[in-house]
Amino acid sequence: MIFEATQRTPLVEIESDRCLVRGECYPENISEWADPVMQALDEGLNQSEGAFTVDVELYYFNSSSAKFLFDFFDFLEGASEAGRKITINWRYRSDDDTMQEAGEDFEEDLSHCCYNLVVI
Amino acid sequence: MTKNTRSDETVALHSYMQERQTLFCYSGPMNEELLTTMSNPVKHQISDKETQEALSRRVFGVFIEQAQNIIRYSHHKTKSSGDSIGTIAISVIEDGFLIEAVNVIAPEKRAMLQNTLSELSTKDQEELRTLYKQRLRDGPPDNSVGAGLGFIDMARRVSKFEFDFKNTEEGDLFIYRGWVT
Repeated sequence: MIFEATQRTPLVEIESDRCLVRGECYPENISEWADPVMQALDEGLNQSEGAFTVDVELYYFNSSSAKFLFDFFDFLEGASEAGRKITINWRYRSDDDTMQEAGEDFEEDLSHCCYNLVVI
Repeated sequence: MTKNTRSDETVALHSYMQERQTLFCYSGPMNEELLTTMSNPVKHQISDKETQEALSRRVFGVFIEQAQNIIRYSHHKTKSSGDSIGTIAISVIEDGFLIEAVNVIAPEKRAMLQNTLSELSTKDQEELRTLYKQRLRDGPPDNSVGAGLGFIDMARRVSKFEFDFKNTEEGDLFIYRGWVT
């Protein structure tokens, strides 16, 4: 499943073994955009039982989207706790303190997923 | 404004904007579609070669949160479409940018805004970061309108912010100014 990037939403690609989120995220209506993404993620995860890798590379997200990211990671953490092998790569540019801190903060709530901060 | 606006008033408007180096200003009805349209020129204006990308991104973040605050919480709406009315501006200052926003608020919201922003203004970056995380986990407090993540997000991106209230014929104005340096 592919959600093409728009000016205010990131590219999202979801397959049975991986998910990519890349771009900027400040949609006009967060739930209108996020609900289908979460549903596709749920379906993607249910397509197989192997390792699942999530790459998140965001350059900006607004405060409403922070809540979506929190729920997104919470969902992955739940799947991981239930036994799925999940790796999350939080990718950020070396000069981007805001995204580095955001990546560090999301990591605090994840103990079952394998979580990596990756400088790009 | 009357239809007899003199040309020197137009020049005065031009000169005033030039003098204070206001490179973007919008005043009027706002909605999310308009914000989408405004985002690109704003991004372009704040991303010249001399501006560090990290600084531009912080300015953009404050701009988006302020614009969305106006859209969601302005108490002054157009009769026809119900769009929120407000003013938002970005100006160049010596070592960065000043982002200013003004909108009418519901009178009963004033105390909540006063308390929230006073509290945020006493916190350092590390405390703001902790509060942001906590708010993200716990959700907004009871009776929150805009007292959620948005103001904390802005406080983390600015080096300084100020707020004020003014009673006018238009209503109770809420003024927020954030300096990004």
